[in-house]
Amino acid sequence: MKQNSGARGLSVVLVALIILTSLFPLAWMTMAGFKGKSEVLRTPFQFFPDVWNAKNYVDIMHDPAFVRAMLVTFAGAVAFTVASLFVNSLAAYAFARLDFAFKGFWWVFCIVPMFVPAMAILVTSFMVVARLGMLNTMGVLIIPGVASAIQMFFLRQFYLNFPMAVEEAAQIDGASRWKIFTRIFLPQSKAPFVVVGIASFLAYWNSYVWPVLTITDPNLTQIMQYLGNFRSDRGNEWGLLMAGATLAALPTVILVLIFQRYIVNGVRLGGMK
Amino acid sequence: MSVMNPTQELVPPLAAGAATPRSRRADTRAPKHLRSNLTGYLMIAPMVILLSIFVIGPLGYAFYLSGFQINFYQAPKFVGLQFYRFVLTDDDFWSSLAVGLKFALMVVPTALVLSLLLASFIKTLTKRASGTLKTIVYVPAVVSPVVASVIFLFIYQDEGFANWFVGLFGSGPVAWLNSPVSALPAIAVPGVWLAFGVSTLILLAGLLDIPDSYYESAELDGANFLQKLWYITIPLLKNVLLYLLVTGFTLAIQEYQLPLIMTQGGPVQATTTPSLYIFKNFRDQTPFSTSFSLTAALLLFVVLGAVSILIFRLVSSDKAIDA
Repeated sequence: MKQNSGARGLSVVLVALIILTSLFPLAWMTMAGFKGKSEVLRTPFQFFPDVWNAKNYVDIMHDPAFVRAMLVTFAGAVAFTVASLFVNSLAAYAFARLDFAFKGFWWVFCIVPMFVPAMAILVTSFMVVARLGMLNTMGVLIIPGVASAIQMFFLRQFYLNFPMAVEEAAQIDGASRWKIFTRIFLPQSKAPFVVVGIASFLAYWNSYVWPVLTITDPNLTQIMQYLGNFRSDRGNEWGLLMAGATLAALPTVILVLIFQRYIVNGVRLGGMK
Repeated sequence: MSVMNPTQELVPPLAAGAATPRSRRADTRAPKHLRSNLTGYLMIAPMVILLSIFVIGPLGYAFYLSGFQINFYQAPKFVGLQFYRFVLTDDDFWSSLAVGLKFALMVVPTALVLSLLLASFIKTLTKRASGTLKTIVYVPAVVSPVVASVIFLFIYQDEGFANWFVGLFGSGPVAWLNSPVSALPAIAVPGVWLAFGVSTLILLAGLLDIPDSYYESAELDGANFLQKLWYITIPLLKNVLLYLLVTGFTLAIQEYQLPLIMTQGGPVQATTTPSLYIFKNFRDQTPFSTSFSLTAALLLFVVLGAVSILIFRLVSSDKAIDA
């Protein structure tokens, strides 16, 4: 009995420690946003502000550049997610279910990019989009990353496990491959789509270096680019910067909370990733 | 090469995909084997075209450029392996490699040990508690490196949280990011924070595949938590751990966003990781800096790419968990 309550006590301490490690930096950032200039950097440490002051949050939301960056990035992220789900699932279905000439060659062709680190082709990718006249367009942010070998691979694994009988029955009824894909496979793809869709959304939302290279038009500044610029231009306004960073992190955290069940299972579903 | 063609319109690859139903319909009377070919090609076309333009093309172009001296005014001149020699004799290249290795050595084992302990602990909890903790542990993994950099910059300020914390133990104040000794470890902390969530969830999935009976019989023999970890969990999760170790290393060695925002690679190159070295060279406007940086990128990442192909073979050929 005594040992039991001791173990329980230890458990509670450990749980508290895990929560603290995971969430403290985010909570600390959020709190800094609520602190005034005199309070934000002050020793000794005090978690909650003396005076709760939403001024930083109000101010940053009145900065048109910040609001524009949030909206433009959000729109881009949605378009990016939809486009990559479409392109990758279509190829995944074809590779999982169809037989066509030189399939093995095309499979290798589509899988090799998985092993090409982004940094290895950063310079030449930049040259390519510059030559295509894509600099300073939404297209340069969205299109180059749409086709993703790893996501296609993940979706293909999922489609391989579908029972063949379903497809055969539909074919006997005269359904085309396209119809089988859109009517039978797509509606069943919710779980893997949520997993890869969130990965796409996060990849777009969190990207920093690509927008820095390709976007100079202030109307298209992406949110992480905005934060990076803010840091180098007005880096000592900590309260304001923390408020901006909090709001910039909010959509991603909300996404995790909404789809937590899918994500936790998705790690299992994908086996490895 | 597709790269060389300045095509203004990039919609066709997507439009081709969207047009699939119509073009398919028109073809329903073609012989069956042809039909399947056409459908298959139309379905992979968007993927293949996009990858050709934005991955395979740039990769081939990079190899091409690394062998030629390009100049705005003259035709490209073949220089063989000159650029490779320049890179390999540049001290900064080797020092960035050392920084990358040190960074990986700080981040990967720490994150892995932390994840293994967390996963083993979370497994012992009730279903509801473990569900909540899994989500909480995953939250840092979705935070952008830029946001993490900004948070930790704030924490490392002279009057920030980190100095208050070490002050509790009587040491103090440390110029975290301004000293060549502490800058890299200071950047490794957010590195661990961003990385441990995903590996915890992957390890937890592996742990749940180990039959409870193994642990029960060990308990009957009087094994404690650490003994169970050492004699049961670690050997059975060998492949998952290996996978996480190697992928973790290849990812950590490529890290550059944290040092880019937190220290710009300083003080005195102490945090210039290989990718940051490449990135800085690219933005540098000196002659041939572009060829130089892309040659360095190729050299580094041909090696890393080969490593990840090996892992991929290992993982897909073998069962991930030998339970």
